[in-house]
Amino acid sequence: MPDDSVHNAPTGPGCGRSCNCGRANADADGLIRDPKSNGDGVSRRSFIKTLGASAAVSSLSATSESRANALLGREVPKSAAMLIDGPEPVDVTLNINGKPLAVKVEPATTLLEALRFHLNLTGSKEICDRGACGGCSVIVDGKLVNSCMMLALDAVGAQVTTVEGLARDGKLDPVQESFVRHDGLQCGYCTPGLVMACRALLNDNPKPTLEEIKKGLSGNLCRCGTYTNIFNAALEASGQAPIMDQKMEGA
Amino acid sequence: MKPLDEATLIPSHMPTTNRPSNMGASVNDNASRLDAVPKVTGSAKYGKDYHLPNSLYIVFIRCPWGAADFVSADEAAAKATPGVVEMQVRGKSCTYHGQSIGYIAADSPRAAKRALRALAPKWKRTPVKTQISDTVKDNPDIGDDGQNNMNGAEVTHEAVYTTPVQTHSSLETHGGAVDHRGDRATVYASTQGTSSSRDGLGGPLGLGQGDFELVCEYVGGGFGSKLGGPGKELTTAAQLAAKYKRPAYMFCNRSEEHLDTGNRPSSRTLARIGFKKDGSPVGGEIRTWGGTGVAGGGGGASIPSGRYKLGEIKKLHDDVSFNGGGPRAFRAPGHPQAAFAEELMLDEVAAKLGMDPLALRMKLAGGEHRKMFEAGAKLIGWSNRKPNGSQNSALRTGYGAGAAGWGSAGPGGAAEVVIARDGSVESRTGTQDIGTGQRTGMGIVTADALGIPLKYVSVKIGRSTLPPGPGSGGSVTTPTTAPTMTAVAKAAKTQLLELLATQANAKPDEFSIKDGVVLRNGEKYLTWEEACGKLPNDGITANKGKGERGDGHSNGVQFVKLDVDTETGVIHLRHVVAIQSCGRVICRKTAESQIIGGVIQGLSFALFENKLLDRNTGAMVNDNFESYKILGPGDMPHIEPVLWSKGQSGFKALGEPPTIPTAGATACALFNAIGRPVRDLPLTPDKVLAALAAGQGGAA
Repeated sequence: MPDDSVHNAPTGPGCGRSCNCGRANADADGLIRDPKSNGDGVSRRSFIKTLGASAAVSSLSATSESRANALLGREVPKSAAMLIDGPEPVDVTLNINGKPLAVKVEPATTLLEALRFHLNLTGSKEICDRGACGGCSVIVDGKLVNSCMMLALDAVGAQVTTVEGLARDGKLDPVQESFVRHDGLQCGYCTPGLVMACRALLNDNPKPTLEEIKKGLSGNLCRCGTYTNIFNAALEASGQAPIMDQKMEGA
Repeated sequence: MKPLDEATLIPSHMPTTNRPSNMGASVNDNASRLDAVPKVTGSAKYGKDYHLPNSLYIVFIRCPWGAADFVSADEAAAKATPGVVEMQVRGKSCTYHGQSIGYIAADSPRAAKRALRALAPKWKRTPVKTQISDTVKDNPDIGDDGQNNMNGAEVTHEAVYTTPVQTHSSLETHGGAVDHRGDRATVYASTQGTSSSRDGLGGPLGLGQGDFELVCEYVGGGFGSKLGGPGKELTTAAQLAAKYKRPAYMFCNRSEEHLDTGNRPSSRTLARIGFKKDGSPVGGEIRTWGGTGVAGGGGGASIPSGRYKLGEIKKLHDDVSFNGGGPRAFRAPGHPQAAFAEELMLDEVAAKLGMDPLALRMKLAGGEHRKMFEAGAKLIGWSNRKPNGSQNSALRTGYGAGAAGWGSAGPGGAAEVVIARDGSVESRTGTQDIGTGQRTGMGIVTADALGIPLKYVSVKIGRSTLPPGPGSGGSVTTPTTAPTMTAVAKAAKTQLLELLATQANAKPDEFSIKDGVVLRNGEKYLTWEEACGKLPNDGITANKGKGERGDGHSNGVQFVKLDVDTETGVIHLRHVVAIQSCGRVICRKTAESQIIGGVIQGLSFALFENKLLDRNTGAMVNDNFESYKILGPGDMPHIEPVLWSKGQSGFKALGEPPTIPTAGATACALFNAIGRPVRDLPLTPDKVLAALAAGQGGAA
């Protein structure tokens, strides 16, 4: 299993964005509570991470299943096959971009693997495969999630939006439009993740300051070096003037 | 200093009405990337995105230590893992962490990984060297004559500067997917050399070059590491695809990418240099060592750079081996590490001379660099710079500067332009776009040469069946292909105008095209689409033409302003001004992006990056993205790219120079803030605090 010591530090600071990356603050019992959640505050992925991704499914006995349901704050359908030990594949249905999609996956399959290998939705990128880069960012029930750090089985019953689902009726999302206009991309490999992170940020905070944008996108890495243009794209997509324009007019 | 000449600058995001002289004649140079929409919607397919039905998935078996002898492995258990198709283990002695000793191919990635765990190779570790200083322990003179060229010097400076191994950290890892259909194949590669990768794949595929196509429409970064043929990942996939006549897929994971796909070698620079009291250079000697891991070469450091007059410098370089993966070309190979040493050395000399370091650079640099330094000093606010070490507050501000230069390349590569009867234009060349904007640039130069808006042009690159183009290395892709594409597009335009003239019983020189309108004797004659409607069924195809060379260096200077928290040692980057010339600006957005990206990679090299090998085992301890830190959004300063227009024309280099001076300028800014140099990259808080503590001891 991935070494999550950095992201999952029990008492570390929050990552600053509304995601389930595990950098939220932890309780005395070591469980990581999401301050924005309405339920008892434990995100699905945080719970799984507490157990360890590969151990989670196989250790879900009847007792732990009910505990899981309580922690998740929702009813998990029996079809989610939470009692499956694996590694034999199981049939599940995922709700991706508004469509129910049937997929047969090993229980230890991450949401990212299900998207890329089983559903041919390759917009979400596998870059670090351990929650450090944000390249696989998707929105699950309104929250930004690193899909490499969530099991596909745990997305059953949730609404998953991937970068492929952001444009509606052939029209780009304003975030996508402003990425294009401000050249918020070079090789483009980090771009889907940054587009999703930016969308999630603006959903939570419709008019972020530059500092809030930097913090909100800090779970994502770009190697070509496009951050300047991405900040401007985020500002424009939220109806604010790009920093460069303000700077140069005053210069 | 002279007042800033506004006409020489193109400030970022300036209104398009104020169009500097080195931008194109049309509106096309403010275009957005032609491939931006596929990239923001996730529909762009990179090599790593080709998960083909019935594919084999390959994992390499790799040595987990810096040096170890292979002892045994449970091959029976690995072969018995459900889904395993083939395994090859070539047990041997290994000399670096990540060295491959074979592979496992299976029906799914999970099956391949399970078999790798079942294989559980056993190793016997052997002693390792992990860095240059394991071999180079003193500071020897060059040669035996004791002459160091410093005779007559009034001020001398001797210091050692070191930089760590930096990995390319391309976000799309190395590898490829191969669709082998028996007598035909399609190869989905992630490469900087579409043509060179194709050349290396005929043998492994068992096919002639005409029987397969290499597709590389999108590349998730390369920075030099994806040059030089198909690589062992793609070659292995091709061999197994050919053997089993089914698709095969091999891409490195993040750890393997750090371990075994090249790097910028570490460096050690010993500088002994002398000056007169007025800052005139006397000369000296510079000895460099490159830490090339297990490779025998490739560790050169470009110091003296030639950008500053330093007098007569005696130079000697040696490559030093240790138990790490070998280097590959990395964006301006040999330069950022050398510029770090050279720029910080100059600031230290200036401090000894009691000179402003910018004044020393103005004395030593050439004419264009001097003008750029003047302009950049205004933009960064150099007049607010305080003397070295004069601040006592907890938060101290520092300013630093550095210079870059890069040579030009002549026209090259092959290109084809097709004009169809509906007015659409296809521009074809077998290059690849690794993020530079090559696809967009080809479209713009085609549209500009034809005199039409960019919307009519589509660009085909990244396929081995197109007219062959150069690899993306040495910043030559644009300087070679843009002149060629321009010439070919002009040839297509000439054919079109000759045809219109023949049909009208007129002379061709009566006709011209501007902004998508065909003019006859300066008057509107036909729209572009009407004119193309007069073409024969198969339109016009042109593929001959030789462009003009863009002469002269692409020069640049950078200024860095930062704050140092002297209680924690943490550096807060505040402002970077990056002035860069590149000849004619084909596309302002992608040109500025190249500059911003070069600066960001340079800042990341300055502050964070370090491929760290355990000194006992030789294993890389940070083969991931949590502890191999690259610069993230939260670390960002305000970066101001400035495209230098004065005297610029022709197509010149841009990709590499903007990453050369950044680390050096950053180190100079730190020196300015705290009054003590940190001569070892990265500039981490522990080193800053140690420098501050040494400063309090009073020893200079």
